[in-house]
Amino acid sequence: MKKNILQKIWGFFDERYGVGELFEKEMCKKIPNVDWTYCFGGATLFFFQVQVITGILLLIYYRPTIDEAYNSVINIINNVPFGWLVRGFHSWGSNLMIITLLLHMTRVFCQASYKNPREMNWVIGVGLFSLTLVFSFTGYLLPWTQLSYWATVVGTEIPGSIPVIGPYLKEFIRGGESITQYTLSRFFALHVIVIPAMLAGLLGLHLLIVKTVGISEPVAEMKKREKRS
Amino acid sequence: METVDNKQVERRAFLDFSVVALLATFFGGVFYPIFRFLSPIKTRPGSMGEEKFSIPLADVPEGSAKLVRYKDLPTIIIHTEGLEVVALNAACTHLGCIVKWDDETGRLLCPCHGAVFDKFGQVKDGPAPKPLPPIDVKVEGNMIWLA
Repeated sequence: MKKNILQKIWGFFDERYGVGELFEKEMCKKIPNVDWTYCFGGATLFFFQVQVITGILLLIYYRPTIDEAYNSVINIINNVPFGWLVRGFHSWGSNLMIITLLLHMTRVFCQASYKNPREMNWVIGVGLFSLTLVFSFTGYLLPWTQLSYWATVVGTEIPGSIPVIGPYLKEFIRGGESITQYTLSRFFALHVIVIPAMLAGLLGLHLLIVKTVGISEPVAEMKKREKRS
Repeated sequence: METVDNKQVERRAFLDFSVVALLATFFGGVFYPIFRFLSPIKTRPGSMGEEKFSIPLADVPEGSAKLVRYKDLPTIIIHTEGLEVVALNAACTHLGCIVKWDDETGRLLCPCHGAVFDKFGQVKDGPAPKPLPPIDVKVEGNMIWLA
């Protein structure tokens, strides 16, 4: 059989690095008989990837200063080709990511998938959840609208109500007594560098553990199997 | 596409074509907007800053006004009696409609919600919260210059 160009390229890598074997091992793995509720983790991962790509694109036109932030967002929506689409994906993707994340946690909880040997993955998952919430909160300030300004005022008042350390914590988060350029700058840094890096690291660990211990068996399947034996 | 003698499309060839077309549509749909997003934005002259704009004085007779595009913004040049030329941003400060010059009263009227401005852009009536921003203008010989 004559090989076409794609088969030749595949052959080149397969000969040298055994990608075919790796592919077979990973993609043809036997997994438990799971239902559609197991898709939410993957859906969240998909939305995270959308956020990374659209976020990088928005970063090209966004300007993180209190004088320019709002106008640069308006410019993205009105003047940049497909800017409205990219920003729409980023905004809607963030909401959908939280929704699929909550559904994923609900599924894991109700199917008792967090039990031995997956306890640490639940702990890491809670960390990922918290990071995603901080991600959303910091991103919400960036367009510098009335809505985002006051949401940040309210959101930072909440840790301010903690006894003793509250007032210091609030000023620390805001970078001053009120919401200023310093707040915007630090939220921007958190949103585009610090949290993405932390989230990507934890996410890698999360997926590595899933790969290592495998996908959990649904409770119903487990009961069926026990009945048979 | 491969065809057999009676010009029927083979099933495999059709499926191959469908898969390729589907993938092309998908990747095209993803990458075309990204490519356009990253391409240089086409701007109209002057929208990014510096622009020298001139118009013959004869085009704006005494007691009239002319709407022009200057730095990509609607700008109204008003020529009042006594060779006095004023230029204002013509977007109403209320909701951004383009104000019109009224010959009889010598005032600027907004057609949307009835805001009234005098020839210097000061609010005289209606819902406008702020005066119209003035633009530097000078007359040299028989030309009007904005900058």
